[in-house]
Amino acid sequence: MTKRLIVRAPALLALACLATPAAAQQDTEALKKDLTAVIALQGQPCGEVVSVQVLKQNDYNADCKDGNKYHVYENAKGRVIVEKRS
Amino acid sequence: MIRYSAVIMLMVSSAGCMHDMEPETQPLPIVAAPAAPKRPQVSKAPATAAKAAPPAKRQAAAQPAKAPATKPQATPQKPQPATPPKPAAAAPTLDLDALEARLKQTKAIGLMTKLSLKNKVDDLLDEFRRHHAGKPMPTVAQLRRSYDLLMMKVLSLLQDRDQQLASDILSSRERIWGLLVDPKSFAALQAG
Repeated sequence: MTKRLIVRAPALLALACLATPAAAQQDTEALKKDLTAVIALQGQPCGEVVSVQVLKQNDYNADCKDGNKYHVYENAKGRVIVEKRS
Repeated sequence: MIRYSAVIMLMVSSAGCMHDMEPETQPLPIVAAPAAPKRPQVSKAPATAAKAAPPAKRQAAAQPAKAPATKPQATPQKPQPATPPKPAAAAPTLDLDALEARLKQTKAIGLMTKLSLKNKVDDLLDEFRRHHAGKPMPTVAQLRRSYDLLMMKVLSLLQDRDQQLASDILSSRERIWGLLVDPKSFAALQAG
């Protein structure tokens, strides 16, 4: 039983290594969609968010497909703010 | 042994047939139910309605057709007890708390989008508050436009990934509007 586990361990480790980036990529894609929706809800031009930089919790820099860049964050009053970056 | 297996096969196949029969029998009351409100119309024009009715329902339609000749008042009274339970069944009670909880839990909308939507709901509630306080500026028409736009935003976010919630919200749309636009129910909402 132990021998089997030892034999299979590298395979499991490789699988875990492959699965983790996939999950992270899914999260990033979900975040991009989320921010795309937020920017659209605020009536700002964007098209689609293509890259996101996480500054802190609920605080992001988003780059759009059309070239626009935004700072999207939640302020102290709990409001979501979308500010255009130069 | 072969006999037993034959008996088992027969039972299984007959059970299968019984299951097939159920969906056919269930829709019948639903089909029969819409025919009930037509009966008062039948009493007004018995000959045309009897022709329009499908063959299965002709016997039922024929009875009210004969009745108006002898007792004209008896036919409109008959469908009345049948109709009141239908609206009660068709309009389930509006559970705002459950809808709110489902909106919070749904994975169809991201966290930041939910926060943004909450901001917009709060803004709209402020507008309703101003309207009910007697201020002239947000008129009912303006509020309705804002409400419809917000609903469209929510539904467009939900419709692809949480269709059940989207349809539930859509079906509650007018009742929620009714609660918001009525000063008494709005005050009750704010208090609760």
